[in-house]
Amino acid sequence: MEKAKIDAVQLFILIFLFELGSALLVPLAIEAEEDAWLAIFFGMAGGILIFLIFHALYQTYPDSLPTQYMRNIIGNYLGWVLGFAYCLYFLYLSARVLRDFGSMLLTVAYHETPLFIVNLLLILLIIYTVYQGIEVMARTGELLFVILYVLAISGFILIVSSGLINLSNLKPVLEEGILPILKVAITQTIYVPFGEAIAFSVILPYLNNPKKAKKVGIFALCLSGINLMIVMAVNISVLGVNLTKRSQFPLLTTIQSIQIADFLERLDVFFMLALIIGIFIKITIFFYAAVIGLGDLFKVTNVKQLIYPLGLVVLLLSNSIASNISEHIQEGLFIVPIILHFPFQILFPLFLLLIVYLKKRKKNKA
Amino acid sequence: MIRVFGLFLILTISNVLLTGCWSKTELNELALVSALGIDKNEEGEYVGSLQIINPGSVAGSKSTGQGTASPPVTVYTSTAKNLVGLSRNISAKVSRRLYYAHTGVVVIGEELAREEGISNLLDALDRDPNFRTTTAIIIAKNARARDLIKILTPIDQIPAENVIKMLETNETMSGENINAKTRQVIDALATKERDPVITGVELTREADGGKLESIQQTEPESIVQVGGIALFRNDRLVDWAREKTARGIVFLLNKVKETNISIDWKGNEEAVVYNMIRQQTTVKPVIKNGKPEIDVHVKAEGKIGEVQVAIDLSNPDTLKSIEQEVNKEIQGELSKAIEKAKENKTDIFGFGESFHSTYPEQWKRFEKEWNDTYFSELKVNIKVESFIRRTGLRNKPYLKDTN
Repeated sequence: MEKAKIDAVQLFILIFLFELGSALLVPLAIEAEEDAWLAIFFGMAGGILIFLIFHALYQTYPDSLPTQYMRNIIGNYLGWVLGFAYCLYFLYLSARVLRDFGSMLLTVAYHETPLFIVNLLLILLIIYTVYQGIEVMARTGELLFVILYVLAISGFILIVSSGLINLSNLKPVLEEGILPILKVAITQTIYVPFGEAIAFSVILPYLNNPKKAKKVGIFALCLSGINLMIVMAVNISVLGVNLTKRSQFPLLTTIQSIQIADFLERLDVFFMLALIIGIFIKITIFFYAAVIGLGDLFKVTNVKQLIYPLGLVVLLLSNSIASNISEHIQEGLFIVPIILHFPFQILFPLFLLLIVYLKKRKKNKA
Repeated sequence: MIRVFGLFLILTISNVLLTGCWSKTELNELALVSALGIDKNEEGEYVGSLQIINPGSVAGSKSTGQGTASPPVTVYTSTAKNLVGLSRNISAKVSRRLYYAHTGVVVIGEELAREEGISNLLDALDRDPNFRTTTAIIIAKNARARDLIKILTPIDQIPAENVIKMLETNETMSGENINAKTRQVIDALATKERDPVITGVELTREADGGKLESIQQTEPESIVQVGGIALFRNDRLVDWAREKTARGIVFLLNKVKETNISIDWKGNEEAVVYNMIRQQTTVKPVIKNGKPEIDVHVKAEGKIGEVQVAIDLSNPDTLKSIEQEVNKEIQGELSKAIEKAKENKTDIFGFGESFHSTYPEQWKRFEKEWNDTYFSELKVNIKVESFIRRTGLRNKPYLKDTN
């Protein structure tokens, strides 16, 4: 753990950018068809519950990293193994998001550039940022937050003013009832992107005012959730469910359909900037969580020594993780949530919390 | 010192290395495709024609009076079983790399649209990141796409640009065509409850419009012109709608911007012209006695454009009765459009879609037999409200009342 502090606003911004990250770009919850935004809403509600679980753990051990309190709770050996598993999980997720980034750029713009080169450029930047530490990350976040919001607002105004929005595309609401939507929320949106905020259990100890953590976390999750709902609703109302479903990156198609006054068109760069900002922050957080965790587990005195080798691991992993984009996305939608997200985001934290609770009761009785 | 030097070195190197693109292509290595035409030949292969801009002939050099000998565009044709293959075969004839990002219009030959359908054509356009799906799409009426693409045009030198502008202007001025974009057509093809409509463009030909001489005179020998709206059933062209019927279709899709509506006045045919400036058409599905019905409500605003009989336009009552006539006229056009669609059993207005989104429960009952039964028996209640706001610079016409 490095000696550094971030304030509540910075934490808020980091969570917000992290949540938007790649979720902004993909057809999130599109299996819920017209009601994708509702599925995102329920996912957000679930995500807040997940946040409350690891926040409760953080409250019990406000100054220690998850890798430390896990050893406190379930014993040295078991706790170490669980902590190690969490670090691998975070590393794997950084590689996944890096792959997302690479395949998006390759699909959209750089058709002939090798994936490796694109990923290399971003991971170098991330290695540098993580090397500079959490405070620099937080300040970078503040800067990028402003850019992203200006982009989002001007993009939204452009879409509305070019008359593309057709609200009847969002109808019928709840055609098949609420069950399919809950299913999508429970199997997908609750984990990606909301549950992924579990990476912030590593960041929370850096907060200078631990009391604010709860409010900041919930507020950031809500705001990002609302933003994602708006984006998805806009995508569907502009493109229709069918096209949104077929698009790899519906936001790009939405932005491409802006045509105002014969000169405001082909604004693909909006999409590219949003893509790079969101994904950069998301990988940085995951990668940072993995680095700090591993540093603690292996008692490395200078954590920074780990950054280069681990960066290389992420880079290579991101290249070998899947052989094509469909495989990558299918894994992300149907396999990873069940075998990784569910245990790491819900099961293990709940289990830890239960033990903490039982221990406390035992203590009180004694 | 070493730190500063190192930093400087890194900055310099990244400047040099990162700003270049991996697979850069300079402008003079690109052949800008302005239009893409697709037909079919007897062997069942696609015949693709690419209209490629001749950079030398369209650059500003013309104004110096030297006049280049070559036309502003060149058309290359080739055949293949699929679109990507077409592009590849044509690239064997072109010195530069084909670049589709600035394609202005996609032309589909009528024969192909009628016999084979258009659904197989569009995937390549939808999938390719270079090609913009905001590109206009048109049908070459009574012609091959190839012939249409070859025609040179005056005023706007690049024929594709000429066609786009013509469609846009005509769409705003007359409301008798729809400037359909590739994406909208794909969307309609993918939606079960709506069928696509695409504007047709025809050519009047007396001589070979592909020769530069054709436009080197005040009256070009071949002209490209808007030729009605093509109705599709699923992905096949089934019928054409022209003039008033076409305008009815555009009304029902709420795409009319400005138009002129002529009405008869006391036995004089088309003697009063109403200049419509804006309109709003709402289509509302309702279910009455278990049967689907559609309520259409048109609200139009405009002014008087021309009168050929002596009527006192300063009298509000006269305006009222003109409004009544306009209402009838618009209502008639809408009915014609609906009749046409019912005849061809093609729900181009997306009535089915609006039922689906408003009455998802009942829709399940209609869904299977929508086009065959429910749509062709659909009762459509049309209500038109038009308003005359102004009468132009004059009130009474200079004509003397002969009655």
